[in-house]
Amino acid sequence: MATIRKFIKVALAGNPNVGKSVIFNNLTGSRQHVGNWPGKTVDKKEGFHRYKDKEIYIVDLPGTYSLTALSVEEVIAREYIIYEKPDVVINIVDASNLERNLYLTLQLMELGAKIVVALNKMDLAEKEGLIIDVDRLENELGIPIIPTVAPKKIGLDKLIKKTVEVAESHKYSGKIIRYPSEIEKYIRLLESIISETEIKRIYRVRWVAVKLLENDSDVIEKISKVEGGEKVLEKLSEIRRDIENKLGDPEILIADARYELIKDIISKTVKGVKKLTASDLIDHAILDKYLGIPIFLTILWWMFQFAFIGSAPFCDFLGDLFVYIGTSLEGLTGIPYIDYLLFGEYGIIQGLGAILSFVPLIMMLYFALALFEDSGYMSRAAFVMDRPMKKLGLSGRTIVPMIMGLGCNVPAIYATRIIPDERDRLVAILTNPLITCGARLVLFSAIAAAFFGPFAGDAVLSLYLLGYVMVFLVAIVLRNTILRGRPSPFVIEFPVYQKPSFKVAVVRMWDRGSLFFKKAGSVILIGLLVIGLLTITDASTFMFTDNPETSIISAIGRFFQPIFVPLGWDWRLIVAAIFGFVAKEIVLGASAMLYGVGEAEIADMMASMYDPIDIFGYLTFIQLYIPCIVTIAAIKQETGSWRWTIFAVVYGIILAYIVNWLVLIIGHGIFG
Amino acid sequence: MKIVYPVTIVISFLYILYGLIQVYNGFVEWWLPWTGLEKIQLGVKLAGTYIPNSFPEPFSGIFLIVIGLVFLKATYLYFKRDEKYRGYLLVGWILAIMMLVLNVVVILADILDTYYPLLWGEEVEEGWTLAGDAWGIAPHLVIGVIASPIYFAVKDLIRELIPG
Repeated sequence: MATIRKFIKVALAGNPNVGKSVIFNNLTGSRQHVGNWPGKTVDKKEGFHRYKDKEIYIVDLPGTYSLTALSVEEVIAREYIIYEKPDVVINIVDASNLERNLYLTLQLMELGAKIVVALNKMDLAEKEGLIIDVDRLENELGIPIIPTVAPKKIGLDKLIKKTVEVAESHKYSGKIIRYPSEIEKYIRLLESIISETEIKRIYRVRWVAVKLLENDSDVIEKISKVEGGEKVLEKLSEIRRDIENKLGDPEILIADARYELIKDIISKTVKGVKKLTASDLIDHAILDKYLGIPIFLTILWWMFQFAFIGSAPFCDFLGDLFVYIGTSLEGLTGIPYIDYLLFGEYGIIQGLGAILSFVPLIMMLYFALALFEDSGYMSRAAFVMDRPMKKLGLSGRTIVPMIMGLGCNVPAIYATRIIPDERDRLVAILTNPLITCGARLVLFSAIAAAFFGPFAGDAVLSLYLLGYVMVFLVAIVLRNTILRGRPSPFVIEFPVYQKPSFKVAVVRMWDRGSLFFKKAGSVILIGLLVIGLLTITDASTFMFTDNPETSIISAIGRFFQPIFVPLGWDWRLIVAAIFGFVAKEIVLGASAMLYGVGEAEIADMMASMYDPIDIFGYLTFIQLYIPCIVTIAAIKQETGSWRWTIFAVVYGIILAYIVNWLVLIIGHGIFG
Repeated sequence: MKIVYPVTIVISFLYILYGLIQVYNGFVEWWLPWTGLEKIQLGVKLAGTYIPNSFPEPFSGIFLIVIGLVFLKATYLYFKRDEKYRGYLLVGWILAIMMLVLNVVVILADILDTYYPLLWGEEVEEGWTLAGDAWGIAPHLVIGVIASPIYFAVKDLIRELIPG
């Protein structure tokens, strides 16, 4: 006789955006509570549903695409099912997107959970021309399937009835997922070894065997702590090596086998051709195997041209305005020393003006970036870049901090938190400072305009590309030496394309651009003040001087000059680069002050002293050398290690020096 | 609607042709100036400049070729009766309009850059002329205008994305 239970524990599991929350809300109504999962910042929703004499406790697990423990959400979902042992897992599946959703279903089945599938969005599937043979699907998977349309509450009563039935039965009816025989033999071998240990008392043996072959770091760590675990892990290394030699990467083999199985199930149970939406159709072009990356580069080029050329009159106007202000205010304080420091040709107004005149450029670049983000394109760009990035040793998720790094490396380094694998994340943190941030853009655009004329945009783009090339090269080196390993897989859900909102773009532009103002008013101003004081103080008498050649700053620059002889820099460029450590924008402001000119003339002054190859070399140095002080603080905070922080600084300087030197050698070799 | 596809073939051909010319001109001016090779212009000479003006810029040329290839793939899929052609057509059209807008922004910015000193009473030494403009009326604008009627072939998709 079956035991009659009064209390049933149910977990809702499913991919994001499958209607899980709608089902949860419809089942629990006002009897729900939202808190946090212990020790995590992920919402935990729990509630109750009364069915006849049963009280059903329902937990809404975080939305996940798989149970591979690559994210906090996946770990929470997996651990809840393993350790809390819900009576039933209701797996909510999007009927209009079976192929993607069944991957999680198979993993839940492997975990040994008692499952009821809610085949949700049936109306959408029908609208898209799909006919699903539910009975056949139920038969193929061996688990009960209830079609539902959550917003209309269709099928929810049946779902609960079936859930109670499954909870009260003692049988697990789901089929065992069988892999191709060449993989299956290794799974069985591992199963037999695991069965001889204490692991079998805690976990489902077959699931552990599959997870170990998938190199699941979380499972490996947990197994290592169980009696007999070390022995299993020793054997695992041998088995994995054997598979890699004979068949290839076990993780990919297992994932491929699951998708093959899903394809087979779908071919037997789903009829009709899915009608493509506008978003689907655009994605076919945007994600095209051959045209996807060229389209991405075309859009990137457009953004730069739009920002550079479109902002040029406004930048020039602001530059002239600061020169006018500086000239007009000369003599205002009546104290020559202060007056010279503030308004003189080596004064702070000149330096600050050189930086602030680039606000329109930065704002326009952020505006264009925001338009593409809001349209839904940027997540596609991340996906398009995933394949080449993985080949180059970076996780596809790294594209998000890489794009953010175009604005500022500091938030970009914090954004690496979305990368779950520790080594992937370290590689992303250590390479991010090589990406051209808005601060470097200020210097590059000013100098490029004078040296490269109408092709300034292309010259700056080439520096951006250099930054990215270096990111990939450094990643390859790190991945093959101190951070050896393969990047983790990348799963992303594309938002539907939409018309970008002008208002949203303006707000984002202002949010990001205003950081530039704050920085200009604090770190940069102090940096320029220090440079200004050192420029007008004589190195031998410590008295006022209007000759920078005899100043303290000149002495500092000349002290370091021997190191930079091969790069052909004069002391001014050395000092500007040193102070760029405070904030990269200072390089331009400091150059303007040290050469005693304003924004409009700084580049022309440099053009009279250096040839384009020399100056391009200098720009490559600024592009790659040490991150600014705030970025260094972010690296320390996020790596939690002084060793990695110092490493980031040191390798940046060495790389910058070598690249600058190579630019000079190759450039002068070709162009003379 | 059938007329759209012969037109698309012509447009893709124009993008690829003018893209190649820009790449060639870019190489000649940027990297091979010592060869003395002549730059190519394929257009009507008006007011001292060519329309369209294939200014020397290899990157710009490459991206024109990309747009041409997107249109070409749309045509290929259309003849294969593959519904996906509509996606390529829409993406090609969006890129074409983006390039058209960019060319207009460039011209407006150049005019503004020339005349803003008038704001504080300065004199403008050299006024803006189409011939003196780095881009002028480039292939981006001319082919963009030719490609703009493709809107009528993709407007149902646009309306699906932007209802109302």
